[in-house]
Amino acid sequence: MSDSPEVPGGLVNREGPSTLSGRILERLNKTPIHIGLGIVAVIWLAPTIGLLVTSFRPRSDIQATGWWETINTLRFTTENYSSVLNAQGMLQAFVNNIIISVPSTILPLVIGSLAAYAFSWIKFPLRDTLFLTVIALMMIPAQVAFIPILQLFAQVGFTRNFMGIWLTHTAFALPFGIFLLRNFFITLPKDLIEAARIDGASRFGIFRTIVVPLSVPAIAAYGIFQFLWVWNDLLMALVFVQEPRNWPLTRQISTLLSQYGTEWNLLAAGAFLLMIVPLVVFFSLQRYFVQGLLAGSVK
Amino acid sequence: MTSSAMSGPVPHMPGAAAPPPAKSSTEGRSWLSALLFLLPTGLLLGVFLVYPTIYTILLSFDRGRRGEFNKFLGLDNYVTLFTKDPNFIDFSQFPPSGALFNNILWLVFYTSIVIIFGLVIAVMASRVRYESIIKSVVFLPMAIAATALAVIWRFVYAPDAKTGLLNAVLDVVHVGPISWLGNPGFVNASLIAVGIWGSVGFATVILSAAIKSISAEIMEAARVDGANEIQIFRRIILPMVSLPISVLAVTLTVNVVKLFDLVYVMTLGGPGTSSRVIAFTMYQEAFPGGLFGKGAAVAVVMLIIMIPVMLFNIRRFRTESVT
Amino acid sequence: MMRISRFLALPIAAALILSACGTGASQAPATVAPGDTSAPTTAVTPEPGATITVTSLWGGSEQESFQKVLDAFTAKTGIIVNYESVRENYATALQTRITGGNPPDVAILPGIGFLRHFAKDGSIIKVADLGIDQASIAGNYAPGILDIGSVDGDLYAIMVKFNSKSTFWYRPEKLSAAGIAVPTDWDSFKAALAKLATGGTKPLGLGAADGWTLTDWFESIYVRQAGPEAYTKLFSADGDWSDPSVATAVTAMTDVLNETYVDGGINAALARGFVDGIGQAFSATATADMYYEGGFVGGIATGQVNTALTMGTDIDWFDFPAINGGDGVTIGGDVIAALTKNAGVKEFIEYMTTAEAGAVWAATGAIISPVKGVSADVYPSDQVKREAAQVANASAVRYDGSDLLPAGGPDLGAELQKALQGQAIDWASFQSQIQTAWSNE
Repeated sequence: MSDSPEVPGGLVNREGPSTLSGRILERLNKTPIHIGLGIVAVIWLAPTIGLLVTSFRPRSDIQATGWWETINTLRFTTENYSSVLNAQGMLQAFVNNIIISVPSTILPLVIGSLAAYAFSWIKFPLRDTLFLTVIALMMIPAQVAFIPILQLFAQVGFTRNFMGIWLTHTAFALPFGIFLLRNFFITLPKDLIEAARIDGASRFGIFRTIVVPLSVPAIAAYGIFQFLWVWNDLLMALVFVQEPRNWPLTRQISTLLSQYGTEWNLLAAGAFLLMIVPLVVFFSLQRYFVQGLLAGSVK
Repeated sequence: MTSSAMSGPVPHMPGAAAPPPAKSSTEGRSWLSALLFLLPTGLLLGVFLVYPTIYTILLSFDRGRRGEFNKFLGLDNYVTLFTKDPNFIDFSQFPPSGALFNNILWLVFYTSIVIIFGLVIAVMASRVRYESIIKSVVFLPMAIAATALAVIWRFVYAPDAKTGLLNAVLDVVHVGPISWLGNPGFVNASLIAVGIWGSVGFATVILSAAIKSISAEIMEAARVDGANEIQIFRRIILPMVSLPISVLAVTLTVNVVKLFDLVYVMTLGGPGTSSRVIAFTMYQEAFPGGLFGKGAAVAVVMLIIMIPVMLFNIRRFRTESVT
Repeated sequence: MMRISRFLALPIAAALILSACGTGASQAPATVAPGDTSAPTTAVTPEPGATITVTSLWGGSEQESFQKVLDAFTAKTGIIVNYESVRENYATALQTRITGGNPPDVAILPGIGFLRHFAKDGSIIKVADLGIDQASIAGNYAPGILDIGSVDGDLYAIMVKFNSKSTFWYRPEKLSAAGIAVPTDWDSFKAALAKLATGGTKPLGLGAADGWTLTDWFESIYVRQAGPEAYTKLFSADGDWSDPSVATAVTAMTDVLNETYVDGGINAALARGFVDGIGQAFSATATADMYYEGGFVGGIATGQVNTALTMGTDIDWFDFPAINGGDGVTIGGDVIAALTKNAGVKEFIEYMTTAEAGAVWAATGAIISPVKGVSADVYPSDQVKREAAQVANASAVRYDGSDLLPAGGPDLGAELQKALQGQAIDWASFQSQIQTAWSNE
């Protein structure tokens, strides 16, 4: 398609001017773009950086001056974080986040890839219809399920612990996961799988030894996407995690906001505790994360 | 590539002596193994998605005290929602107000501005060498929880110039301070701005990939023919990105219908009820007042809005399967 | 292959270990750490070490005061109380837990409308069904108190505390510096505001993001302007919100709650919670001179907002100004209700009806106890003693109106927020909505 891996699809004139004045002219033409992108960068970085800086400032400073003036004083402290972790229960909430997010990621991964495999490599009647049903189920908003599921959980006590939220997150993640993984599975080399079938491999054996190892990128992308989705969730936690000692960070921060609406030192530290893990994932696994998000949207 | 191509094992390897197994037993075994693979999924989807949907639809026709069926009301809940609940939708004055109307505001402004900004930034970024850095910067908010976004922006919107970034900027030109979240006249605009800020990166990344897939030869040919940049943008780039844009629009629409976290944490639907959205309304109607029937009706309204999206996805899948 | 197992092994192990610790028993809740603070001093009840959960929406200093009562209960009976604070959307969270089959053992309800709703749903255990004989506790209260917690003739909940809502908090030095005497009626009040405003700062703090603070303003004005009987009628199923007296009261409200007198302006007030509103007048960087809310403001101001305040010198209160001679007093109270019959619940409810519990709580200065046996000397400061006396000696006492309105009805606070911004309120629509809510109960 393009001449070289570097060319971004022909938007840039690869030839480029050969004279000095030509090059200067080209650079000047691009100045508005650089300015525009500079403004974009500021708008998209300033708010987050502002909160980060604030989380390390002493309370008195925050009330006196804006965070952009920290450059003058360079006074930092970690007391906000320690206060929020100990006194405000954020440490427990952080642990709760892990407890909620990990099974809510692994379960749909496992169950979803099993189902996706069936939809891609096993021929059975009504397969396409069922798959279309799965796609349709993707669009069901969680609100529709709250009341009946709460009543179901009431009978088995699943709101007292984490079972309720694990199962709910898993169920709601399945349609998208199945859709995603199935679309990937069907691109696997048919010959490989058929060879294994002829050799007498069981379906599960093929799944375990061929399909899954070859699909690690897709599975990783979905896994990361799902993990962050659950980590950042508030609504499901509001409804299904009912013991305050089990509350995740999102819920704890929401309560903090309503009680200490202007204690920005605490709020900033709390918000960053919530953001740390997703940001680390974002920076280290960006490729997979982006893939996960894109997969459902663009071919 | 559909699996209809896989009608039976193809003996392509030399020396494959065994004849393919009889078709009927293959089919029989397929059904059983498919069942095993699909059983956990089927159980979970049935219990958590299918059953509740049916239950909630039925409950919306009932008073639903305690979430149980106790008094059949027919369409009363819906009638009340649309005519007697000004917090949901209020047609009595122009412009209309209410949660449903707020969702429409979001739908129109959030969706269109995200796509426009995304496209513009994608095109601009493609011209510079630090493109991937810009894309990362703009994409960063996608990793951040809506709850944290709400804290970040409540801080930016703080109504005094010493704390709030926006008011500090305005203070430099001696304007304000403005209470961005306390004024019902533009609290929705303030919230939509945050939503846009959080989603532009998504659009940028998608549209950037789409732009890059435009063939270099077509662009060269157009330039050779004397087309200027704007013409190229209108005649070549736009049509080629129309499919990703429509997919984007659908995804953003889904975001708008499901919008909850941001509104809940930033304003709790306030001041008053001016920034409510329907997902929030469902939560508030059903639980504090115990009006489960009405809450169910709101949920069904959300479901109905999603139906065109469902159909779009199904149709897209069908057309993609054919290729 | 191997990569996946390794990829997943660590998080699985972590999850298993953490869930083993996390969902284990006897974990202290994130907000408060209760527990056996001292050995029981009397003979233990049949269920030593039983644990019950109590929820309320108190946090901060109000929570600390209540915790003293809980500790005293544990010391006496050995029953451990886990207090869970639900600061926001309390009724929603409570309903969610009830629907989810996970109700707290005991809930403190801040509103009678909610009480009626939960009682009629069958979510609350009647006091009689707990094994508590109403006749035996009736003597602890003045007549009429127990009626507040009754629904359809059955006692479901018992009032455990109240505060006067006719206390107008102010900074004495600001008023004396401006040469203003404490206002006793509406006209002198407005004159005082005008005089303070000429000094360059605006006198009133306001935390209007919490709509209930506006309903308190409305109720205090209405009970004085229209009279106690009209007040009772308005907040009942016979109320008529399209009556002109309602609009008149709102006008009186906006006469003082406007850009001229509210510190920071109306729009900023609408984004500010009530604790921050207290801070406007009483924090270390205070800019306002006065703040209107209930008797609990004193405790919050001195215990949480600005511990350097001295009650009486830096902070005090005067009676909400009379209007045309009308000076009825409104109170806001909380009732306690049992949602389960678990071991320890009956003992706790009984304990809360005793003068002993009332005295412990009253001694913190956060509340006024409705229990008759609590003597006035227990209250720690003159301000609280005066508050108790104000209610005891009032010409008429009315319960906080908005708390009496049906749950699931229209939000009076939200309407008043609109009024503050100069928007016209459609009282006819409000009336029809609230009529629907009353009939739906």
